[in-house]
Amino acid sequence: MQMSQCIWTSHEMLGPFRFGPSIQRNFSKSIRRSAGDSRSRATSYPSFMAAISTGSTQHAAVSTEDDSTTKTHQPLQVAKRLEKFKTTIFTQMSMLAIKHGAINLGQGFPNFDGPEFVKEAAIQAIKDGKNQYARGYGVPDLNSAVASRFKKDTGLEVDPEKEVTVTSGCTEAIAATMLGLINNSDEVILFAPFYDSYEATLSMAGAKIKCITLRPPDFSVPIDELKSAISKNTRAILINTPHNPTGKMFTREELNVIASLCIENDVLVFTDEVYDKLSFEMDHISMASLPGMYERTVTMNSLGKTFSLTGWKIGWAIAPPHLTWGLRQAHSFLTFATCTPMQYAAAAALRAPESYYEELKRDYGAKKAILVEGLKAVGFKVFPSSGTYFVVVDHTPFGLKDDIAFCEYLIKEIGVVAIPTSVFYLNPEDGKNLVRFTFCKDEGTLRSAVKRMKEKLLLRN
Amino acid sequence: MEEKLSSAAKTLTPSPIQQLSLLAQRCNAINLAEGFPDFPAPPQIKAAAVSAINSDFNQYRHVQGICDSVAKIMKQMHGLDVEPLTDVAICCGQSEAFAATVFAIIDQGDEVILFDPSYETYEACVTIAGGVPVYVPLDPPHWTLDPDKLMKSFTVRTKAIVLNSPHNPTGKVFTKAELETIARACCTRDYLAITDEVYEHITFDKEKHISIASLLGMRKRTIITSSLSKTYSVTGWRVGWAVAPACIASAIKNIHIKITDSAPAPFQEAALTAFRSPMEYFELLRRDYESKRDCIVKLLARVGFKVHFKPQGAFFLFAELPENCLLSDIEFVEELIKQAAVVAVPGCGFFHRNFYSENLSLADYGYQKRYIRFAFCKSDATLADAATKIGQLVDAKGCLKLF
Repeated sequence: MQMSQCIWTSHEMLGPFRFGPSIQRNFSKSIRRSAGDSRSRATSYPSFMAAISTGSTQHAAVSTEDDSTTKTHQPLQVAKRLEKFKTTIFTQMSMLAIKHGAINLGQGFPNFDGPEFVKEAAIQAIKDGKNQYARGYGVPDLNSAVASRFKKDTGLEVDPEKEVTVTSGCTEAIAATMLGLINNSDEVILFAPFYDSYEATLSMAGAKIKCITLRPPDFSVPIDELKSAISKNTRAILINTPHNPTGKMFTREELNVIASLCIENDVLVFTDEVYDKLSFEMDHISMASLPGMYERTVTMNSLGKTFSLTGWKIGWAIAPPHLTWGLRQAHSFLTFATCTPMQYAAAAALRAPESYYEELKRDYGAKKAILVEGLKAVGFKVFPSSGTYFVVVDHTPFGLKDDIAFCEYLIKEIGVVAIPTSVFYLNPEDGKNLVRFTFCKDEGTLRSAVKRMKEKLLLRN
Repeated sequence: MEEKLSSAAKTLTPSPIQQLSLLAQRCNAINLAEGFPDFPAPPQIKAAAVSAINSDFNQYRHVQGICDSVAKIMKQMHGLDVEPLTDVAICCGQSEAFAATVFAIIDQGDEVILFDPSYETYEACVTIAGGVPVYVPLDPPHWTLDPDKLMKSFTVRTKAIVLNSPHNPTGKVFTKAELETIARACCTRDYLAITDEVYEHITFDKEKHISIASLLGMRKRTIITSSLSKTYSVTGWRVGWAVAPACIASAIKNIHIKITDSAPAPFQEAALTAFRSPMEYFELLRRDYESKRDCIVKLLARVGFKVHFKPQGAFFLFAELPENCLLSDIEFVEELIKQAAVVAVPGCGFFHRNFYSENLSLADYGYQKRYIRFAFCKSDATLADAATKIGQLVDAKGCLKLF
């Protein structure tokens, strides 16, 4: 019972020496490209507020309030600013959905549960008393399991102790990577449409976002645009493959081009690969496996989508030691440690035989077929989705003015929920013709939704 | 690839604490260092978690019932009126609640007051958010707050004060007078207060934990953070919360959603059961920890440590090395591991004298290398074992030979 689980790397013990003054100064130097005045500690760190408060017209709007409490109004400014991120669209849609008893093909999580053997492993861990703080960067067994799975998937051998970090979901891996590795005013390239936390955490890190839009019908990477966007000033590029919301999977050719540009300009790559096991039309390729790329890539993934346990919040980041260090620092202040019993269960999950993954693909393949055939039959222009459990479609045949209007109409009149994709773009105009449906629902639900749409959705164009 | 290492990584030599921990592992030492229990979590709460997993509470969730329960408890304990729909943010542990709070309210260059000695992570959050930590030393031997020192540490850039009570590492519970001093400063200068109240249910000798939010004028400027971890002995479940005025709670929620999106779903469910624990549960918690406290105080005082006061809350004892001990805290801990196979934490890491206001820099802070933190959140068997091991190392007078 004594020291079998060494948790000394947790900052409960180590903190005092990790962050002594000289270490702090050096930490700040490492995340700034140029050496800064070591006494201006305050400016050495990425600032959420600095990025937020530049160029805001909302800044002025609130200061007309009571002057005697101006300070307490700064949080009010923050709150207002942040409302824009997790937009009220999702809340509105959910409330509307409940009100109208709509079938929810908008939410990106299953309405069925994870496999018994994984749930059993979690239950066993709870009963075995694995309920206290885990080692900050992960329970050793899970770090090993992640490394093994990564080897099977990419052929790469990584050190579970030095190159794997467990986080509260891939969302936290992304936040930790951004906050740990991105400096204030670093340029980062994103592909739109994108998962909403990317923009938010990049803002928190004070990054300058350069956005490249992927366009229908195949959402392929516009190489020329990428070449002009990337330069020696680019710090990192973020790639989500298989891609939410479009279902696009980055091809080997695309990844090769991006890789050579990254090597040429010394750019880091952060990849979000949470849907890697839901690849249907082609094989998933990890950027880290391309020649010369492992040393500059952070590969992120999670348990939730592969094992239908999205609420367990087990994710991880795989990166070479010099990149792992930065993201582990950020992780240690963000959440300190990840849920212990679920980590043990995740290790069991990752040791699942290949048959589990084959069955997963088969199941989702069948669900996809139901949805896609249904959407096509109803009259949507359906774009090919190679991976994930999402499909985007063009809704304009139905004559509504934009994606939000269409989604509201779909809920109220048809009783089905989809997500308007404009929320996934920096410029909402880019998404106004597209909505996203998900097929991570049981077949009965999918068939009912298709039936409702077939019965009531009428072409207007 | 060595050249790819960041300059910070290259500067870091293995830390003394890391060395100590490796040493402890090699010696199979009894761990009175870690701040978490080695006894099981309450069975009914574990059962609730198991039941939640079996009942398919496994997808992203926000369990509003937690907000309802927290609001109720805030009313019962502190008389606070908390609106569950708007004033409570559920997070992955108090750690995330604190981080999200700091990101929600701290701007580039904002100064944040912290009290020394202090748990390490607060400062890291403040700094990463662009803020500047300013420490105010509490005065040994009773770690009292000197209002003068506090006032001298304020500047035009001060934005917030962080308050951890009951306190890690000293076991101090801030007095009503001290809370009033802090509250007065906050109200007159329009500061925010961020509290860490994770040990709120662990107080001794009829000492009651008072939340500063319950003082006049403080509710609208205080963010309370806490969690299930210490109260229910489930530090690994990562369910915590922040209670704040609606606009701040909303900001915290939005940040939390971008950092982790959701706290672990089945344990949110289990939290509902935890919150329904009867009064007896908390009574027993207090009594158990109080007896463990008495045990460790007796043991360490008997062998020569200077125990200036019995901890009034939390589960740590911050004991001072006697004058005749020439070893520093780190050296002492190393010897304790090697000779007694017992581990504790050298206190120096909890002090930050480089971050004191210039007004306070000329003073004798030599005491900061003289303290050792012992955790007593351990089973009676573990504590007895530690007592035996330490007991074997005393001289004729009964004092620890290491001194």
